[in-house]
Order: sequence, then C-alpha cells, then structure tokens
Amino acid sequence: MFTTGSKLLIGSSVIASVAAALYGVTQKGTLGTIGLVSAAVALVFLAAINVYVRDSNVSAMDPDAHATAPAARPAPSPSLWPLASGLGATMVAVGVVTFPAITILGLIVLLAATAEWLVQAWSERASADPAYNATVRERIAHPLELPIMGAIGIAVIIYSISRVMLGLPSKTGAVVAFVVLAALVLLVGTLTSVRRRLSTGTIAGVCSIALVAVIASGAAYGLNGERTTHHHETTGAIAEDGDCGADETEADENASQNVAAKSNVAATITLTADEQLTYTVPGFDGGGFADLTLPRSTSNNVLFRNDSEEHRRLSIDTAGATAAEDKRVVCSALVEEGGVQLLTVRFDKPSFAAENPYQFTVPGVDGAVLPVVVP
Amino acid sequence: MSRAKRFGIAAGTLLLAAGCAEDAPQDTWKPAGENAQDIHDLQWPVFLTAGIVGVLVIVVLISVFIRFRDRGQPIPEQIHGKPALEITLTAIPAVIMAVIAGFTVPAVMALAETDDTECVVNLTGQQWWWEYDYPVSEDGTICGVAPTSAEASPIITSGQLVIPTGTKVLVRGTSRDVIHSFWIPRLNGKKDIVPGRVHYLRLEADEPGIYAGQCTEFCGLSHSNMRMEAVALEPADFQRWLDNELEPYAAPAADTAAAEGETLFIQQCARCHQVNGLVDDKGNDDPADDAIVVSAPDEFVWSGAAPNLTNLMTRNTFAGATWDLLTENCRDDVWNATPAEFGAKYLEGVTAECLNEVDLREWLRDAPAKKPMYADPEELEATDGKFRGMPYLALSENQIDVLLAYLIERK
Repeated sequence: MFTTGSKLLIGSSVIASVAAALYGVTQKGTLGTIGLVSAAVALVFLAAINVYVRDSNVSAMDPDAHATAPAARPAPSPSLWPLASGLGATMVAVGVVTFPAITILGLIVLLAATAEWLVQAWSERASADPAYNATVRERIAHPLELPIMGAIGIAVIIYSISRVMLGLPSKTGAVVAFVVLAALVLLVGTLTSVRRRLSTGTIAGVCSIALVAVIASGAAYGLNGERTTHHHETTGAIAEDGDCGADETEADENASQNVAAKSNVAATITLTADEQLTYTVPGFDGGGFADLTLPRSTSNNVLFRNDSEEHRRLSIDTAGATAAEDKRVVCSALVEEGGVQLLTVRFDKPSFAAENPYQFTVPGVDGAVLPVVVP
Repeated sequence: MSRAKRFGIAAGTLLLAAGCAEDAPQDTWKPAGENAQDIHDLQWPVFLTAGIVGVLVIVVLISVFIRFRDRGQPIPEQIHGKPALEITLTAIPAVIMAVIAGFTVPAVMALAETDDTECVVNLTGQQWWWEYDYPVSEDGTICGVAPTSAEASPIITSGQLVIPTGTKVLVRGTSRDVIHSFWIPRLNGKKDIVPGRVHYLRLEADEPGIYAGQCTEFCGLSHSNMRMEAVALEPADFQRWLDNELEPYAAPAADTAAAEGETLFIQQCARCHQVNGLVDDKGNDDPADDAIVVSAPDEFVWSGAAPNLTNLMTRNTFAGATWDLLTENCRDDVWNATPAEFGAKYLEGVTAECLNEVDLREWLRDAPAKKPMYADPEELEATDGKFRGMPYLALSENQIDVLLAYLIERK
C-alpha cells in the first residue's frame, strides 16, 4: 500500500510534527510553530495523494519495471522550475549582502518554484496515462495558483496606480488621472461588450498593453518619488506650543464646524450668547449637575458648541498643574458662531490629587469656566 | 433500548430539569423591574410563536422523512416553481415577522428612552471589573438624596452598584480598554460598553435585594470572572448607605495590627488602589510631613485603573464581584433576607465574624493564581510592562494578617 515516495512524505510529516511540538514547547515561538505545523499539514496532504495514486511506484521485484513503470519514463517536457529555484536561491544570497527585501523576495520565489517543481515532477509520473497526469496536476495546483496569481496581479495593479496617484504633481491631477483611467476602463469594457466579434487575442493584447502601461507608469512615478505634501498644523500641535489662545492659527483655518451625527459624547458644553459655559449630559433630563463628572484614565469626548457671536475655542489643562512646564493643555480649533467641534480629554489623576482644579475655559472670555470633577 | 437512545433521553431530561433550577440569580424569566418586565412581556409571545413554528417545521420535516423515505419507489415528477405555494410560504413568515416586529419595535424604543430617569450612575468597565461613580447634582444631592451631614461629593465604588428601589436609574457606561457588556438580566437587557463611547442603560428595581449579572462580551482571559451585582435599597436605606459612603476616613488606632496594615497598604497597595482620605504620615508625628496618598494605577495597570477600596467592607464581593467577602452562611442570610429585612442586613457590611477570610487570603497571597490575569512581569511586552489585573505581591502571612486587620475596618 505504501510506496517509497509516500513513506518519505509520511516520515517527513512526522518529523515536522515532532519539530513543531518541540519548538512550540521549548521556544514558545508562535510564528515558527505555525510554519512547522503548516509544513506537517502540507506533507500529510502530499503523502495522502501519493498513497491514493500509488501506481507510479516501481517494484524492485518486477524485472520489467524499469522499462514499463511511469516513474521510470523520462520527463515529458523540460522544466523551467529548476531555473526559477536557482534564481530564488541567488536572490536570497544577494539579499543577504545587499537589501533584506531581496532576500524575502528570493525566499518567496524559491519556495514557490520548489513547490511547482515538486508538483510538476510528481504529476508527470503520477500514472502511465499522460492525459490523467495533466489533469491531476491542474486539479492540485490550480486551486492554489489561480487565487495567488490573481491576488498578486491585483496587488501589482493597485500598487502601480497608487504610485502614479502619489507621484502626480497635484491632488487635482491625481483625481483627474483617476477619472480618466476609470473612464477608459469603462469605455473598453463597453466596446468589448458591444462588439462581440472581437477576438480573445485582441482583448488579451489590449489588456496586456494596458497592464504593461500601468506597471511602467507605476515604476516611473515610484522611482521619481511622491509629491511634496503640505502638512497642516493641528490643534494638538498648537496646544503643545502653548497657542491655545483666542487668536486664529493655521490649524483653525481648515477646521470643520460640523460633527458627524454618529458622534458619541460624554457631555455637550455650550458657550452661550452671554459667554457663559453650560453643559448637558446626553440622555438625562433630570436636572443639571454641580460639576461635570468625567472618568479618569480613559478618553472622554466632549462636544463644544459656540452660541456666542465670536469665534471661540474650548481649552483645558488635563494635568491640573501649576507650573507651566507641567501643564498638559488640550484645546479645540476655533469654532464659528453656531459651530460645533469635538474635543477629546483624558485625565490620569483624580481631581483631589491635582494641584489646580480641572476646568474647561474659553480663551479670551474671563467668566467662561466649567469645573470638572474626576473621581 | 440502544445506548444512543438512552443517552438522548438522559440528555433531554437533564436539559428540561435545568429549567427548574431554583437558585438561578441570573434568570431572565424572573423580571424584577419595569425594563426587565418589558423584555419579559415581549419574549413570552415571541418565544411561544417561535416555539410553535419550530415544532410545526420539525413535525412536517419528520413526517416527510418517514412518508417519502426511499422504498425503491420511482422518483416522482420533477417540477420547477409553483407560484401559489411559493407566495404562500413567503407570505406566512413575513406576516409572522411583521406581527412580532409590531410588538418588538415599540418595546425596543421604550427601553431606549432615558428622558424619564431620576438618577445617574457613571459606569466604567475594564479588565475585569466594573467601576461605578455617582455624580453630585446641582442641588447637592446624589440620585435625588441629600446627604444628612457631610457635603455631597462624588462617590466611587466597584463590584456592587447600589441603587434606590423604585427609581429609574440611568447608567452611563464607557470602557477603559476593550469592549465589555453590562448585563443584569433581572433588571434589563445587555448593553455593550465600548471604549471612547458612552452608552445608556436604564435600571429600575421594584424590590430591595441583590441582582446578579455578568459581562457578556468576551473581553479577555478572565471574562468569565467579570461579574457585577446591583443592590437595590429602600430610599431610607439608600440614604444610610450614602451617608456612610461620605463619612470621612477613619484611621486605625495607633499600635494595632490595623495600623501596621495601613502602613503596608500605603507601601504596597496604594500604588494602584485609592482609599479616599488616606494620609501618609511618613513615619513621624510632624503633620507638616503628612501627604494625601494618591494612587497612580495608570503607571502600573494597562487599563489605568484599580478598584477604589475606600469602603471595601460595605460591599459583599471583591475581585470583580467574583468572590464573596461574606462567608457562605452570612451571604445566604443577606441574599435570602425578606425585602423588609434586606436593607439592614446589607448595610451591616462585612463583620469580622462574617469575613470570608479563605478567599480573601488566597487572593492576597497570589491573585493571578486565583483569577487568570496577565500579571507575569516576563510576559508584559505587549502592554509596555503594565499589568492587566493584579500582580503577585509576595506578601508574607504576617503581612496578610495585618492587611486583613486594616481592610476589615474599611466601612
């Protein structure tokens, strides 16, 4: 029942299983254990196939076996996989002394080529029937090859297009290029659909040219580098610089004055028309609280609504510190009249442990103070 | 009778018998408040309808299996499509679902209403316990109750959520680390508690008593040990509880085991656990050297919090409500008390006679061995060296003795 090949594969799977167990227990390395277990599973799979199609075995007791057995026949066609394996091994070696990425790529090429080589060598001798041998190879390899090749193809196209988009001199140019590309794809698809007499060869040719163009463009823009992006100043940066004042900063210029309806807040803080800070707790209509209570050691989102006639921001020192260098001020961007913005605050210490009381303030408005209690 | 049949009958009987359990504190079929009653009123007809439909489908299936089983008869004529039958079989479930929705939607909307609540409790979940804090209202009350003597200040507690009976309580929940789910089956349905968001849940208990619950969103290693209890007290008893919570800190008498325990608590436990009012005298009698002890759980614990132990012995549980602070007899005495007696028995707290020393000592001896937690210092790379749970403190038996002496006075 068991052929020489299946014994080899079964033995290898046992070794891989034992190695996985030993490695897992002694080294506690998750990745290595997963790799060895995967190898064991793959070997068991191959062993099972080998047992199932055992007719390729050459019996030592059969005097004619070497002349008639399929395993003894020469390979039906030359194979490219040894060459690919050699290329992979070379890349591994080159990568070791140059860039690690080449080693990783080489390993992938080496593994893929070796796997293909193994499957090809086995399938060509799986039985005495060459037609069956061809189908058995497809049945085993295609379920893996097709999705992997498809995924690689899609990844290459996406990566190439992304390089083009990031390399175009302006954001508008990227949008226009994407629209043109999408329109082209739509146009070609429509033409292909309408003109049914187009041959498969023509369609394949057009697609190949398009693919080469995309990859070439991606390579060109990729080598040229991404366009320079201007990073806007944020409210976090102005808070760090101690600029949470009443004046407008660059961070305020592009700040949104709306908040998504799905936003979920611990409290809504309003600067009223007479420039007083009030607050409400969503979901509770049973009257106000003495002070706003927020939990410590977690992020609290508060909504700041500006009902005054000036552009205002909400600010708080979440460290409750006295010395300027110990303060940890956070603030919203400048909010227009009637605008709203979220501010996320986090307190590490309870109120009683802070040097100064926690309180929301509005820079430029002296009376606008809202105490916060952190239990 | 074959072994498979006997096994099937035994398993079915066991399953049925499980439904008769008396001691089932998390029984969804025993509502104890308006919200749970709404759910109960909805689930009965839905369960009944689903049950009838289920039985009908099974009966039809079994009869078809038996009647048309392969006896060598010729294969019947194969047809494709029968509009009248298809429309009927689509319409019947649609009508059933529409009727169920007619009851379900108003019930869901009613449960989501929070405008009529009279009391707010903030809830914060973290691995693997719940924290409750009671904010002070503008009029100086907490949950509508004015403190008798002390000035109201926010109360912070854990393990047991104390609420007044007959009061619609709004629980506002958030999380410090991962998604948890708050569920006290006899008071309301489940509510997922997501970090960075605030979720609202109404609770109301008609009768005084303890209502058990459990976290129902898998939240890590000790998810099954993340429990909670809501304690409902008559308004007068709630007032007493509130007054007690606001009492100033009472330091242990000098030269006692409890005083030694206080010193040890400051050295070991207060790094993470807060006891309000605790003062470190730095080992001398000079009041100028005294400093209020401020815990810094954010430096040691991944969630940034550890239970506040100010009045630990007023609660009946510890370690995420997983273990009782009361011995079994004393616990039964409180749990089985009549509504009229419950308040007095609960407010007695944990006495020296009733203290469940066994579990508490085991906890202090080696907490990670008692409750699975991520507390091995060698495996905390992912959390930047911070614990998730309570670490092993290597306390000696003598240290545990003095800590117990100190903790038993915390009420």
